[in-house]
Amino acid sequence: MAIIVKLDDLLHDRRMTLTELAERIDITLANLSILKTGKARAIRFSTLEAICDVLRCQPGDLLQFQSDSSARQALKPMRAA
Amino acid sequence: MKRSSTLPLAQASLRILIILNWLFGAGILTLLIATIVAEQWTFTALGIPPSSEVRPMLMGMRAIAVLGLVAIPLNRAVLGRLLEIVETVRSGDPFVAANAERLQTIAWVLLALQLVSLVIGGIGEANSTPAHPLHLDVGVSVSGWLAVILTFVLARVFAEGTLMRNDLEGTV
Repeated sequence: MAIIVKLDDLLHDRRMTLTELAERIDITLANLSILKTGKARAIRFSTLEAICDVLRCQPGDLLQFQSDSSARQALKPMRAA
Repeated sequence: MKRSSTLPLAQASLRILIILNWLFGAGILTLLIATIVAEQWTFTALGIPPSSEVRPMLMGMRAIAVLGLVAIPLNRAVLGRLLEIVETVRSGDPFVAANAERLQTIAWVLLALQLVSLVIGGIGEANSTPAHPLHLDVGVSVSGWLAVILTFVLARVFAEGTLMRNDLEGTV
């Protein structure tokens, strides 16, 4: 998936667990886990709004686009000098 | 979510209809066999006095009985699939490909039943005489043909609904 969800990092910074977030934004823990593990196929604006509201962040803080070529570049071993 | 009594009632009704369908079939088969092994007794029981007009009428009645037997498994196919659809609705997941296929099958079977009904009606008309009129509640049925069209359309609706559901899966 080219869209990376950085929910783990945000929760760590805010000292919040996934369960607490699920309770505060009224989304099931199961759905939030799907989002966190990158298995979600789509996210509603209402869900994005709720997460950003509780975590006091911007959508760009939560979601990152990584093209397939840049992902492959990141995996290439560095050449010896 | 408020629980509706419609679905449990539908399930119970369909199960009863399935049993009645088989019983009806058994009745038709019994009557058909009776016209073969105890011809005179059957006609006496039906209140038809023996006459020269009875012979062709007998063949017509046997043909109608055979067609009636053909309708029994067709009815079972419709009722069985309807029951399966109701069960998916009760489980909260009706928009699945299987239901679109079931409705498509039901539509084709309803079409076949309408054609059987037309043939039975034709045989009834051909064998009806002023002395022994044969009134059968079959033949051309506007509501029957409407049900065929409705079911084909509903099958399409479920197919589209399944696509939309699959698209929505994984959305948080």
